[in-house]
Amino acid sequence: MNFDARKYVIITFVVLVGLIYAMRIFYMQVMDDTWTLRAQEIAEKRKEITPPRGVLFDRNGKKIVSNRTYYNLMMVEADIKNLDTVAFAKLIGWTREEVRQRFIDIREGEGVYRNKHTGKTTPNYQKIRAYPFLKELTLDEIANIAPHLEDFPGFYEEVTSMRSYPFANGANIVGYLSEVNAEEVDADHFYKPGNNIGRAGLERYYEKELRGRKGIRYIVTSAMNNAIEPYADGKYDTTALQGPALKLGVDILLQAYGEKLLQNKRGCIVAIEPSTGEILALVSAPSYDPNLLIGKRNISTNYPKLLKDPNMPLLPRPLSSEYPPGSTFKLLNSLIGLQEGVITPESGFPCNKSVVGCHNHPSAGNLADAIKHSCNPYYYAVTRRIIQQGKKRSNFEDAEIGLNLWAKYMHSFGLGQKLETDITGLRAGSIPDAAYYDKWYGHHRWAFSTIRSISIGQGEVMLTPLHMANIAAIIANRGWYITPHFVKSIGKSGPLPEFRKKHYAMVESRHYATIVEGMRRVVHEPGGTGKRAQLKDIIVCGKTGTVQNPHGDDHSVFVAFAPMYKPKIAIAVFIENAKGGGGLWAAPTAGLMIEKYLTRKITEKEREKIILEANFVYK
Amino acid sequence: MRKNESLVAHLDWPLFIVYMILLIMGVATVYSTAFNEDHPNIFDFSQKYGKQIMWVGVSLFLGLMVFLIDSDIYRKFCVPIYLFTLVLLVIVLFMPAVNGAHAWLGIGSMGIQPAEFAKIGTGLLLARFISNVNVKQQNIQTVLLANAIILVPMALILLQPDAGTFVVFTSFLFVMYREGITYDPLILKMVNSIPGVKFKQTWVGSHFIPILFVVVFLSVVTLLMSNETLEFSWLGGLEIPGFWSVIIALTIFALIMFLILRFFSSRRDRNRATFVVLFGYILASGLATTVNYGFQGLATHQKDRIELFLGLKEDPDGDDYNRNRAMAAVGSGGFTGKGYNKASVSSVESNHVPESETDFIFCPFAEEWGFLGVFVLFGLYMFMLLRIIMIAERQRSAFNRIYAYTVAMILFYHFAINIGMNIGFAPVIGIPLPFFSYGGSSMMSFSMMMFILLKLDSQRRDVLQ
Ligand SMILES: [Zn+2]
Repeated sequence: MNFDARKYVIITFVVLVGLIYAMRIFYMQVMDDTWTLRAQEIAEKRKEITPPRGVLFDRNGKKIVSNRTYYNLMMVEADIKNLDTVAFAKLIGWTREEVRQRFIDIREGEGVYRNKHTGKTTPNYQKIRAYPFLKELTLDEIANIAPHLEDFPGFYEEVTSMRSYPFANGANIVGYLSEVNAEEVDADHFYKPGNNIGRAGLERYYEKELRGRKGIRYIVTSAMNNAIEPYADGKYDTTALQGPALKLGVDILLQAYGEKLLQNKRGCIVAIEPSTGEILALVSAPSYDPNLLIGKRNISTNYPKLLKDPNMPLLPRPLSSEYPPGSTFKLLNSLIGLQEGVITPESGFPCNKSVVGCHNHPSAGNLADAIKHSCNPYYYAVTRRIIQQGKKRSNFEDAEIGLNLWAKYMHSFGLGQKLETDITGLRAGSIPDAAYYDKWYGHHRWAFSTIRSISIGQGEVMLTPLHMANIAAIIANRGWYITPHFVKSIGKSGPLPEFRKKHYAMVESRHYATIVEGMRRVVHEPGGTGKRAQLKDIIVCGKTGTVQNPHGDDHSVFVAFAPMYKPKIAIAVFIENAKGGGGLWAAPTAGLMIEKYLTRKITEKEREKIILEANFVYK
Repeated sequence: MRKNESLVAHLDWPLFIVYMILLIMGVATVYSTAFNEDHPNIFDFSQKYGKQIMWVGVSLFLGLMVFLIDSDIYRKFCVPIYLFTLVLLVIVLFMPAVNGAHAWLGIGSMGIQPAEFAKIGTGLLLARFISNVNVKQQNIQTVLLANAIILVPMALILLQPDAGTFVVFTSFLFVMYREGITYDPLILKMVNSIPGVKFKQTWVGSHFIPILFVVVFLSVVTLLMSNETLEFSWLGGLEIPGFWSVIIALTIFALIMFLILRFFSSRRDRNRATFVVLFGYILASGLATTVNYGFQGLATHQKDRIELFLGLKEDPDGDDYNRNRAMAAVGSGGFTGKGYNKASVSSVESNHVPESETDFIFCPFAEEWGFLGVFVLFGLYMFMLLRIIMIAERQRSAFNRIYAYTVAMILFYHFAINIGMNIGFAPVIGIPLPFFSYGGSSMMSFSMMMFILLKLDSQRRDVLQ
């Protein structure tokens, strides 16, 4: 038997294996880029250099948010030799159990790699890579540990940058940072796990500017994660660029003073420079020291406490709390009445307490005196004239037209909508219109008598303190406002275009003189409700408000601007449950703030002492 | 003097030149892979490339020795040579284990692996044994004896343990197949023991070895591919599950085989060829389907065991880790490669691919030279294997032919398993790529194997048998 033909079987095998392998390699190398990507993942390490964030200055060039160096205690498990857990735990001030648990947490925290092709998973954690064992140690803390690290091979220190707040004020303005979550990493390729992101306030609103540009170095790395050489001689590398500095309109000393005045109170102060719309101070009380929320360690201990505090220090009240404006709202009803021609500056209405309660004062014979006395029956009459102008025979239809007109005026003052201020947490408040009441009472089932509480800023009208301060700014400007904002300039550029635009209210500027005069009388004439805001050399124009509160003591409100001519500051003060009218608590607070800002000193020491000692929280 | 002249004249230069080219390429790849900046000199003997050059020198010297000795000695002394390698295989079992295997004889890096040399001894004895057998009268005794020659060293190697070389020894079965020593007598005995059955020959028994090879190869590839999805971006991102790509490949090969056989076979054989191809195609597809779905139907612990063996599962030794990284290195080479000395995944320094200068040397080569380089390398190996088969077939002496086949089959197995390891087509069992991988024992044993072949071939006319 001849077996020579069998050589063809063998030759076929050899050639087939060669062909199949060549095809397979052609597929792997030329057609499928999965392996190229995997190779990059393995060997071409992108080393990201996160620059320090942009810093924040106040209007006078004081640094209010800066960066400080911190230290991470890094760990490479493969380098750890005969770790004396007891001694190590003692060194860092932990228990042995905590140290052991930390190792487990690090390993599990790294997650797993999933092979697309095989669907198999491998842990990302590698013994030869460096992981932070302790994060964000201060210089003092690392100084105690670092000298002893020689005894613990596998551990070393690493420098990192974090925020610091030299003034401990304005926490609700600047916000805070914390580590990105998984969704944020997915949504924006800028972030890698462990990176920080602005969580609130300006840190969040200006995140894209402040974070700067990451530097990227491509390096060829070994399995030990050591850099071997720059990839492609550094051709694709970029340098890290710190985010630009933000210059704020905030006066940090005024802010600090405001926070001090509101100690032991719940409330807000918002101060605006009327001519520019720059926010000078935005006090939310109670607040917290922003240094409490620096870094993971601080956040994990302090954040839950702040969150559970019944006085809600994390809430930026001036932006997020909606209150009825109380009598301060009478200023706007006066202006609309004048513009609509339903009253004149000389209009007088009797103080008829049978309609609505009022305090004892002579009946107002003109508009300015009505403001000075804050006469409730007067404003019922004024607002009735605005709402019921007699354009329709039916009272209901007439009220519908009138209220919608009124609401349109209110919107032109920036009310009932979110102001486009450069911060997060803003709320719109509410200005009721016909549709609103239709829902409650039915179409054409209501008239002025039903909704009359809007004349004195009660009932369905809701404003944030920022809105209230903006009203003061509009009156100070005699008819317009620039959207209140924090940032004067980003780096070297000037204010953003949206913060240069004047918004005109629907009331012409000629009508403001009477209102301003009324506001002057509130503060500077005997019998005025806001005489506690009086200053010696500065004419303060203001309006008090007392907001009835079904849940407790009345809130105390005051809006004001000063000086009367060429105003430099417009302000709203809102103190919750102050057990007294606007004149008693809010007015003197505003007066002190104005004096502090305009003169840098306080003459009314007695007034200051009373405010500082007042306690409406801890009883 | 005359003898040397005749050697030069009768040396098979094409094979010798391809052998030399592979040696040079291998040294160049080891140099690139294991490059150490502090020792840039390629002749620095403290470095792996320096040592590899030294091994090449030793191998060439051994080759010269082989040439100077009369080729008759291999026929005459094949039994002592075989026994000597067996003794070495026994001694090595009492040596201290390196990496968990008793494979090294000698001290440190100067040690040798007797298993590598056992291939030569076994090849020679097998050639001698089969060449003396009258294959027309093959019986159970012949088959068992031939198998025993292979199985004794295999058993000793398994004791080390060295799974890679163990598998390589099955390449001798192909040589037996070529010479007509098959398992047919065994199967006949079993079949004919059934009353009333009287076969002279069974097809399965005669072709048992190639069938086994196809079954194992196809099963392993199907299992490994069943985890993959091939993506064809130039076909609009068409995705083909791994199993179906196996079926498609089988169909294409069946068509090609059909056409080839149709053109080259005689009219008489044509119908039979068509039948064989069709039958083979149906069987192969059936096997792939059975393996694919059968595997999925297995119990988890059985699945785990198979996946562990194939390196599809992460195990304490990290086979999947090696395989995954090796494939990343090969796959990232692209069409033209990253350039010499530019391997980023598989350089020794980066250490992402362990053993990248020995068992995984194909990784840095494929990464640096891309598909073009792979194509050239495959061309060289294919040429070498086919040339050896051609040389085998031109021998007058059966001993020479059989020995030449053992060389061809051993090299083929090393090629198929080693490259397969690098591209995810074979389990990671750790055997070197001939003439390429760093290592003294494999370099010397492959070279001696090659030189004995060249020597036998150069004297083929002197042999009367
Ligand atoms: Zn009154």
